Amino acid sequence: MDRNAMADSSIPASLAAQLSEIVGEEAIVWRRSELKVYDCDGWTVEKSMPDLLVLPHTTAEVSAVLKALDRHGVAFVPRGAGTGLSGGCLPLNAPVMICTSRMNRILSIDYGNRRVEVESGVVNLHVSNAVKAQGYFYSPDPSSQMACTIGGNVSENSGGPHTLKYGVTTNHVLGAELVLPDGEIVNLGGATEERLGYDLVGALVGAEGTAGIVTRATLKLTREPEGRQTLLAIFADVADATRTVSAIIAAGIIPGAIEMMDNLIIRAVEEAFHIGLPPDAAAVLIIEIDGLSVGLGDRMGQVGRLASECGAGDIRVARDDKEREAIWKGRKRAFGAVGRLAPNYATQDGVVPRTRLPDILREIAAIAERYRLRIGNVFHAGDGNIHPIVLYDERDYDEVRRAIEAGRDILKACVDLGGSLTGEHGIGAEKMAEMPLIFSPDDLIVMSELRRVFDPNQRSNPNKVIPTPGGCVEVSQPHRQAPL
Amino acid sequence: METSHESGIDLDTPAKTVTIDEISRVTGMRQRPPVGIETGAAHAIFEPENAEQIADLIRLCEEHAITLAPVGAGRTLATMRAEPVAIGVSMARMAALVAYEPDDMTVVAEAGMTMGALQDLLAARRQHLPLDPPQPATVTLGALVGAGRSGPCRLSEGTPRDLLIGVRFAGHGGRLVHGGGRVVKNVAGYDLMKVMTGSFGTLGIITEVTFRVRPLPERYRMVRIAFGTIDDAFGTARQINNSVPLIHLEVLSPGAAARVGYSAQAGNYVVSAGICGNRAETDYIAARIDEISAAPVEVLQLASALKEYRAMRDLVHAPGEIALQIAVPPSALERCVSAAGADFRAHAGSGVAQLFISADRPAEEIRDAVDQIRAIAVEARGHLRVTSMPSGLSGVLDIFGTPNAGVMALMRRLKLAFDPAGIFNPGSFVGGL
Repeated sequence: MDRNAMADSSIPASLAAQLSEIVGEEAIVWRRSELKVYDCDGWTVEKSMPDLLVLPHTTAEVSAVLKALDRHGVAFVPRGAGTGLSGGCLPLNAPVMICTSRMNRILSIDYGNRRVEVESGVVNLHVSNAVKAQGYFYSPDPSSQMACTIGGNVSENSGGPHTLKYGVTTNHVLGAELVLPDGEIVNLGGATEERLGYDLVGALVGAEGTAGIVTRATLKLTREPEGRQTLLAIFADVADATRTVSAIIAAGIIPGAIEMMDNLIIRAVEEAFHIGLPPDAAAVLIIEIDGLSVGLGDRMGQVGRLASECGAGDIRVARDDKEREAIWKGRKRAFGAVGRLAPNYATQDGVVPRTRLPDILREIAAIAERYRLRIGNVFHAGDGNIHPIVLYDERDYDEVRRAIEAGRDILKACVDLGGSLTGEHGIGAEKMAEMPLIFSPDDLIVMSELRRVFDPNQRSNPNKVIPTPGGCVEVSQPHRQAPL
Repeated sequence: METSHESGIDLDTPAKTVTIDEISRVTGMRQRPPVGIETGAAHAIFEPENAEQIADLIRLCEEHAITLAPVGAGRTLATMRAEPVAIGVSMARMAALVAYEPDDMTVVAEAGMTMGALQDLLAARRQHLPLDPPQPATVTLGALVGAGRSGPCRLSEGTPRDLLIGVRFAGHGGRLVHGGGRVVKNVAGYDLMKVMTGSFGTLGIITEVTFRVRPLPERYRMVRIAFGTIDDAFGTARQINNSVPLIHLEVLSPGAAARVGYSAQAGNYVVSAGICGNRAETDYIAARIDEISAAPVEVLQLASALKEYRAMRDLVHAPGEIALQIAVPPSALERCVSAAGADFRAHAGSGVAQLFISADRPAEEIRDAVDQIRAIAVEARGHLRVTSMPSGLSGVLDIFGTPNAGVMALMRRLKLAFDPAGIFNPGSFVGGL
């Protein structure tokens, strides 16, 4: 390793040498040019490079790496695939980044107990692919599931379109192997559905990488439903679409998914994928019903009638898997399609009670006007989880500023409507400053105490989730490139 | 350090002596002596009217090293305490509905509300909280969450941890803390709901809970099948579970089936499967089960299905018995209940079973019997908890068992972080926490 090239690094040369010995030189990245790739996740507004990246291959290596960092008092940030959307793996005063992507083995599949044990670097979709032939799937399905890792999912408590019926990550993790920040390996939870003692797995899931490095997870598998039907309903008025969502739920039907896209997104998706969406529609709903084949027809008929009653202009039911996949492709790649509309975009993630969807959409439209921005909406309507996509051009300093402020105003509006700051993307670096909108100082103190149970010295992903006294992180982070 | 006498209890502490009456006066809280099963749980019962009173109480208790714990009906606390705590905090006067949004399918209620009262409210809008511990009408929401209780419907709907979306509790220093919110999907902040669920009053006093609720099922039918051998019963249950969606799936030992009143199946192991859906779906599922089962299948229609489901749900230990719950990987459940040799109700798809053993024998024998069954569960990578027992056995049995050393160290740190003064139901949770 070229010591001179690391001259301006905060990592002592002796530590760098130790790490290299533990994982091998090929599993260490230290050149600034190569580290550039790791300076942000999907939240691209803010950037900060680690001084060193470590790519361990085993739990033992992770443990040895953390022990070495512990001896030197050096903080670290865990990273999976870097697909997060709140800056969860953005290094903030964490010189070392530990990426689990090489720990990507599926260790065991136990169909009898509907369990799978995986290393944390396994890609989400690979779990479902591995068990598909036997009629099972792993149900949390974030839009990034082709790339995101289970370790990242566990840390962020990831969701996805199908969580309305099947739940989010925390409902599907039975156990986890965790390497604590001092290098100790602990096995939390395990093979059973009841916890012995405190639910530490529950505390770990969604801790956003502040509890150490998750190296393995035991996940629940779900039986594939016998049949699925997907319906696309097209609306001339956004309010009619949101009323349809409420009507379906009120009828006692819990679809596998109810997704909504507004006009801006419809046009982007149509231009990119040509799936036959009318470019002048105000909104479309994608509604998926799953379960026994024998009951699907009736239930889909009921959903279609409710959509018509609420004002749907056109209703299309996918006739086969190919049509169904085309509909879902449009939805899952909507974010990518938006890339055609502007040089940059920031995906927001807020939640409102489902019945307040019309209110928040009105608010978002007003905010877009106020800040002279284009904002599209694609979201999980069934659980009130909105994803406004704010378009901007990072070369325009003033537009970036307006985009950030608009995002904050949207979150405030969600909170005012009885909602929350994030449904599935996490607080990360992005939303720390907003935490006091929903949590009191006492709430935050107790959460900090919980955090220190796992990480007494706050060296695992420091400066995340909970705002530090003294206000915004921007002013206190010398390593971080200013967002503006 | 705690002695009873006529005018209340003297609580001798190094700092000073305070009496229960003084605490009651300072906090303005109503108090009463414990009655019935509560006597094994607490020396005095306080009935706060709001969270602020609980916060005051906690500050006083921390100052004077007085122990306290939440009590619902008092059953769980009486079972787990070798010695009663000084103050049992009853939530009977904090039992109000805070908010119910049927269209959002969320409900917020104070922790003293019973499940029975809540289900009545929800049923008016054709919804329910799909958690079904035995005799739910008397279970408070605080106890439901605090003890992480569940029942047959856990197979399809999960347990309190899956449905609790927000929590408020009074913690150390009298802090009034909340986690989560009132929306069904929310990852803002650490998951305090999971931390409090199943913490048995050892981390603070839960004052308010928010649940997501579900629509009441369209149609409910129960399919019941009797088998001569345990092998056939579990084997068929497994096959059914792998073939059709079920609401619940139980296997009852012959003795348990008899107690539930399944008299026609006398001497047999009984599989009881719950099915829901529209007419086409329930008919289809019942027909599929009939195809799978080698033994004759009985399909109970709504009224009788509900009656038999309730009898099965409410099955608890008889007087003079100890109730145990084991949790193991589902595929090991049959082996474990067989080896235990006790009467049981098994949630076959979930790997959880309640076992009933006789308490009518010397304490030492009972302890050996529990240890032996715990060893069977641990061998199968599971664990055992004593869920109910006669009061004479307090202090004799290890109620929870102990996790491995690394996990136990983390749990100690959690307890210390949330209860630095060691006043919240101390000494009777896992590893003596």
